[in-house]
Amino acid sequence: MSMDDVMSKLKAVNEKYRMFHAMTDDTSAGDADFLFSAKDNLTSKDMETCAGSRILEGYHPVFDATSISKLRDAGGKLVGKTNMDEFGFGTFSTNSGFEIPRNPYALDRACGGSSGGSACAASVIEDHISLGVSTGGSICCPASFCGVYGIAPTYGRVSRYGLIDYGNSLDKIGVLSQKATDLKKYMELIAGKDDRDPTSMVQPDFDTSYTKMRSVAIPKEGIEGLSKEVEAAFNNAVEQLKGMGVDVEYVDMPSLRFAMPAYYVLATSEASTNLARYVGMRYGHQDGDRTQKFDDFFTEVRTKYFGDEAKRRILLGTYARMAGFGGRHYAKAREVRQVVINDYKKVLADHDAVLAPTMPFTAPKFDDISKMSALDSYKADYLTVPANIAGTPHLSVPCGYDSEGMPVGMQFVADHWNEKVLFSVAEDWEKQFDLKRPEVSI
Amino acid sequence: MKIGLECHVQLPTKSKMFCSCPTEECEFPNTHVCPTCLGMPGSRPVLNKQVLVYGIMIAKMLNCEVNDTTWFARKTYFYPDMSKSVQITQYDNPIGERGVYYLDGKKPIRITRIHIEEDPGKTKRTADLTSLVDYNRSGIPLAEIVTEPDIATPAEARQFLTQMIGDIRHLLDIPDDLEWEVKCDCNISVGTERVEIKNVSGLKNAEKALHSEMVRQIAMIKAKKKIVRETRRYDPERDVTVSMRVKEFEDQYGYIDEPDLGIYHIKELADSIRIAESPQNMILRMTSQYSLDPKMAKQLVNTSVDLAILFEDVAKEFGTADAIKWVGGPISANWRAMEDRGVNDLSKLKGFIKDFADGKITDTQCAIEIKSFMTGQDAAAAKEESAGLETLINGFLDENPKIVTDYQKNDKAANQVIGYVMRQTGGKYSSAEVVEAAKKLIESRI
Repeated sequence: MSMDDVMSKLKAVNEKYRMFHAMTDDTSAGDADFLFSAKDNLTSKDMETCAGSRILEGYHPVFDATSISKLRDAGGKLVGKTNMDEFGFGTFSTNSGFEIPRNPYALDRACGGSSGGSACAASVIEDHISLGVSTGGSICCPASFCGVYGIAPTYGRVSRYGLIDYGNSLDKIGVLSQKATDLKKYMELIAGKDDRDPTSMVQPDFDTSYTKMRSVAIPKEGIEGLSKEVEAAFNNAVEQLKGMGVDVEYVDMPSLRFAMPAYYVLATSEASTNLARYVGMRYGHQDGDRTQKFDDFFTEVRTKYFGDEAKRRILLGTYARMAGFGGRHYAKAREVRQVVINDYKKVLADHDAVLAPTMPFTAPKFDDISKMSALDSYKADYLTVPANIAGTPHLSVPCGYDSEGMPVGMQFVADHWNEKVLFSVAEDWEKQFDLKRPEVSI
Repeated sequence: MKIGLECHVQLPTKSKMFCSCPTEECEFPNTHVCPTCLGMPGSRPVLNKQVLVYGIMIAKMLNCEVNDTTWFARKTYFYPDMSKSVQITQYDNPIGERGVYYLDGKKPIRITRIHIEEDPGKTKRTADLTSLVDYNRSGIPLAEIVTEPDIATPAEARQFLTQMIGDIRHLLDIPDDLEWEVKCDCNISVGTERVEIKNVSGLKNAEKALHSEMVRQIAMIKAKKKIVRETRRYDPERDVTVSMRVKEFEDQYGYIDEPDLGIYHIKELADSIRIAESPQNMILRMTSQYSLDPKMAKQLVNTSVDLAILFEDVAKEFGTADAIKWVGGPISANWRAMEDRGVNDLSKLKGFIKDFADGKITDTQCAIEIKSFMTGQDAAAAKEESAGLETLINGFLDENPKIVTDYQKNDKAANQVIGYVMRQTGGKYSSAEVVEAAKKLIESRI
């Protein structure tokens, strides 16, 4: 399909899958070299940017995120901003203040989250790449549920200038695509130092030369609590990997169990300070009663336009930072982060990557999600959170399908700055894996 | 009574602390702003390194220990002028800690810490009781200096602030004519409970606010009422402090480290920074080094550090006596006049002193040359004026010969001459000039 064909069908595709919050009105690709979409927490000059939150409704940023401007400079055309959990707060993109993206393999199921719209676009639209953002697993989770490849690079590899913050010490911008080869190609475009984001300035050169993956370690903690079908697909994939000449060893990584509580302390503490700026004064909704005192006005706007999950995380984070708790929770969580990093470093000294399924189950139905408690959905991230808290690069590949045809993903975690080994194994995997694309009838 | 101060001073950088917006004053509101200082989603801070340099300089001046590593923290609170509802400041590992600063060279005031932080914007009330916010100041770099409660009285607080601010202005090379706002949070406890008076502008108001709060607390104690720990505000119009809210403790701001900025290793930078001697220390050193009357040392340094440096140069080249006679005398007296004329050729002045030291000119000639060079008066007029002064003094001494004998016991007797001349001429001559001439003429009669 040509790019113009894709453009002409974009509206209809979106009607069906609801991946875009804002999208272009253009029906032709013009002189673009490629089409891309971006998660709606990346600022774009030409499209409303809301980060999935109604509090930002109507906000048109005055600047492009570095990752978006770099793709535009390389000849890319931004076609849409993708639906997501509000500010990234979720595992299924159901915490969106706007539309909820539908799974390309079954419309009554979720795309995963929080970059659900990005994974959906990458899965449904031909020759498409989408920018996602991961804080605790928000790239690999939806990549797994939507049957695409997705990479979250090392923390600091891609400039976060123009990223609407969730947890600044955790947020990473990455790429999702049907093709493993695209991950490297487009990561090369968006990676690199940017003096507008000091945390991007310490990275070494982005070496993407082919480096065959020789060995992986599978942590016992990473294969607990899996659904039967995920377990079966994963075991099958591990056999395939062995056939590709990859050594597989089962190891203990006890610290992985503590990553989850530490993650929620760090992420919500940072998030609660990041969300403090949304008070209805400078952007987004400003329609509170202005005759009130300023703090009552702020409360009115925030109460009206933040979703339940945003409110929950503000409360959790504020509690964690509060007098008497700050030292106990936040400092402790940072210590745990270091322990997790040390655990990865130890295992990665002898192995090229740590491997486990990406998610413990396949994409759930919306009906089932509505029955889950907040804690249930937090727990679903236990496989993706450790690499995110460690800031280590991780990449999810589709590795099988369950009995209902829903994709299963597995996730490789490499050492800091060692993305090249992930690109290499994904490309090798792609050559022998039978990818089943969803049926897209428009 | 215990008084401790938290003093905010602006650091004189050209651009703001975390963005490249200019710091200069601006006529129109919300002009010197960008996504970063407006706190727009997706923007982030990039540290202006000069802020660290100035912070380290002040830390050194206050004899603080400069931390090897320093970093920033987020202080979260809701106020319309705070664009991010988060202020980037320092909490753990501020730039400097545990310093001491000597009041008048004698009384130690312990410095708890000095940290750097960004200024919020400004809220302005309009006539119809709505408020407008101007973010031009948002992100201007500030240093906050926190003292231990070592200050004994409101007057001493003012003295401390005057001296310290003078030293910091000199250190950071802030022009004398530049308006430079200093804001203080003043903590005072007459009994056991501490009250904070927030955001007092200016040194005079700091003293007045503390005084008025002291009077209030004493009255409370006398009436056996309980003083509550709270934050108050000073109303300069009515000269009273007004309760704002029950005091927030620092940890209620829920500080976390600022994750967008890293850890700064500043040991090397700090080692490379040498700071100039503070005016206060210069006064102390000159007093002892040249056995100077402390008043003269103070007068020289406070008139201008350049004048004090000239004194030292002359003392080195021609001896302390000539430095006191000429730099402490006519040069000091005419310094402002010379500055006003934009003259700064100090080698000329040294030349006159050299001629005098070499015996080429008499002291009267030397005084006339100096004065005419510095004030731009022609030598003849200066001579005439000087002669006029001398005639006046001689006449007075003729009528009051007792002054000469009194002077031998106590040189304060010369003050009678000064008073007389001042009354007769109404400030035509500077006091330094009159003193010099009076002493010269009295001494010639002994």
